[in-house]
Amino acid sequence: MTRQEILNELKKVISPYTTNKEMLAQINEDTDLLKDLKINSANLVDIIIDAEAKYDIEIDYDEADKMMNVGSCIDVISEKIGQKQQ
Amino acid sequence: MLSTGNDIVSLNAIDVTRTKQPNFYSKILTPTETALHHEPRFATIPFEVFVWLLWSIKESAFKFLQRIYADILFTPVKFEVSEIQIPFGFTLPGFEAIKLTGIGFNGIQTIRSTVKFGDHILYSSSLIYQEFISTIVCGTKDFSEIHWGIKRIDSEEIAIQSAEVRAFLIDNLNDNNIIINKNPLGIPVILKDNIELRIPVSLSHHEYYIAYSFQL
Repeated sequence: MTRQEILNELKKVISPYTTNKEMLAQINEDTDLLKDLKINSANLVDIIIDAEAKYDIEIDYDEADKMMNVGSCIDVISEKIGQKQQ
Repeated sequence: MLSTGNDIVSLNAIDVTRTKQPNFYSKILTPTETALHHEPRFATIPFEVFVWLLWSIKESAFKFLQRIYADILFTPVKFEVSEIQIPFGFTLPGFEAIKLTGIGFNGIQTIRSTVKFGDHILYSSSLIYQEFISTIVCGTKDFSEIHWGIKRIDSEEIAIQSAEVRAFLIDNLNDNNIIINKNPLGIPVILKDNIELRIPVSLSHHEYYIAYSFQL
């Protein structure tokens, strides 16, 4: 999957947890989950779990703490998909 | 370290089924913390409440440390909660007030704990009701200088929660000449005549509940 494809799918994963639909529509790799999308921190684990299910990957805590903006989420997901394909 | 950190979790907003799933709670609790819930003293606290109690303690500790170490990242399992003290015969009461404020917790039933992150040792006090969990983390076991407030509001809109918690704090600081702003790192600060006061403050909101803590 390309980064753009992951971003498009990630947008769907994040959507239920943000009310800032305007910012979601303009999402890019610099978008911050908490500051820009106003996602409650209590929903961050939900996003990680949903991403795991979506891509059939497992994200452990060492990677989860990097997932604060969209670009870093794509980095982690991309790396995990790559490991799965090896 | 002069700082404060607080968090509030609305228990009406949590997904109970998901919280009980190992792939979910294992991202919040360490195996040692998970095992604690089997102890008889936790019998009156449902597992999902226990998970979110520890989340709120860890999130509060993170907010406490974020004021000092701006580049810190929040990984719940790296915050270790121990020495949890539950009042004897504790049950979850209903929150019958609209708002609650206080200075310290003398005479109030709270769940206390120690939380470690690296070399840092911090202390927490949590108020738990059927409706929410509200935690404050302090650098010492003495909470007597901690001012706090919890309020139920009518909207779960982020912008309204944010405005309401600021108004609630200003009201309790009893000074209309101050404003609450965020610094470039996103940490709340209290300004008077555009000068930042040395009063650490922490704000939180979740669903219909807002809360603040500050230390004088």
